[in-house]
Amino acid sequence: MARVITITSGKGGVGKTTTTANLGAALAMQGARVAVIDADIGLRNLDVVMGLENRIVYDLVDVVEGRARLRQALIKDKRLPELCLLPAAQTRDKDSVRPDEMIGLIEQLNGEFDYILIDSPAGIEGGFRNAIAGANEVVIITTPEVSAVRDADRIVGLVEAAEKGPPHLVINRIKPRLVNRGEMFSVEDVVEMLAINLLGIVPEDETIVTSTNRGEAAVFDQRSFAGQAFINIARRLNGEDVPIIALHDNQGMFDRFLGLFGRNKA
Amino acid sequence: MGFFENIFRGQRESSAKVAKERLLTVLVHDRIKLTPDMLEQLKSDLSEVIARYVSSVEPSEIEVTILRGEINDHIKAEFPLRRSNVS
Repeated sequence: MARVITITSGKGGVGKTTTTANLGAALAMQGARVAVIDADIGLRNLDVVMGLENRIVYDLVDVVEGRARLRQALIKDKRLPELCLLPAAQTRDKDSVRPDEMIGLIEQLNGEFDYILIDSPAGIEGGFRNAIAGANEVVIITTPEVSAVRDADRIVGLVEAAEKGPPHLVINRIKPRLVNRGEMFSVEDVVEMLAINLLGIVPEDETIVTSTNRGEAAVFDQRSFAGQAFINIARRLNGEDVPIIALHDNQGMFDRFLGLFGRNKA
Repeated sequence: MGFFENIFRGQRESSAKVAKERLLTVLVHDRIKLTPDMLEQLKSDLSEVIARYVSSVEPSEIEVTILRGEINDHIKAEFPLRRSNVS
């Protein structure tokens, strides 16, 4: 039985697709067989983030509507042979798929993979319902901002109502310097407000821009703090006991290091 | 600027703290899922019940607020009484 995990957020632009791509790669690096599904029908993006956009022949809707077999639509990752992508359709609208069809699709994948990660569209409508229909676990991504946390709270309610078990929380794009100054929610603030289990924290990191530009996962970049954070999250999903490192210390040391070269303006 | 602000206005609360206060209140409202219509209905139902026992309540003055508490959140209703017998 595969673990079917939907990655969702409510608000757009908080890092669902980046998280899906990096967790997929990190889990595959750790030896798991992983399928990632782009459930954002009409706004396909996971393929470009993973650098697989040129290999797409068939998509999720082609499979659902019987024009292609699942095996034909799955795209193997360039670096990790155990990682596969099922791309979203780009020219269809989000209502092209029904929840029961998503469940059927996941049942087909189930025997061949250890993890099935589903990248959910933003919002709480049909696309989100499709994305969680076949899941048995949900990871909610938020950033430490009022709008993102508010939307995450709505998602917590919907996930609980859908009886998917208690959702996990990933707080993305934390700026330790702002947190230290009291100008950004701390990890503790967000956990207290949402009252769900914290799976991991990811610092704001410019290397994400670079790795996304190149279509390579940040987890391959040893110097990427965000990449290392995603590796830790994947290890926790795998059941390893990896402590959540306070970002202040980590980043503080990095800042001091930069300070030696006069780059630290805080 | 920060220097003068601090001298003349005293230390301002950190923006994260302000955000947290505001958001916690918003979340209580979001979670309770009480629409403005339902809130009006609640007020009129309450006034009906109260009027059965007390005649000096003015229905239009009833105030219902949703409050965040330390352990539990609350719905608080206030029923101002008219002072008809002031001597």
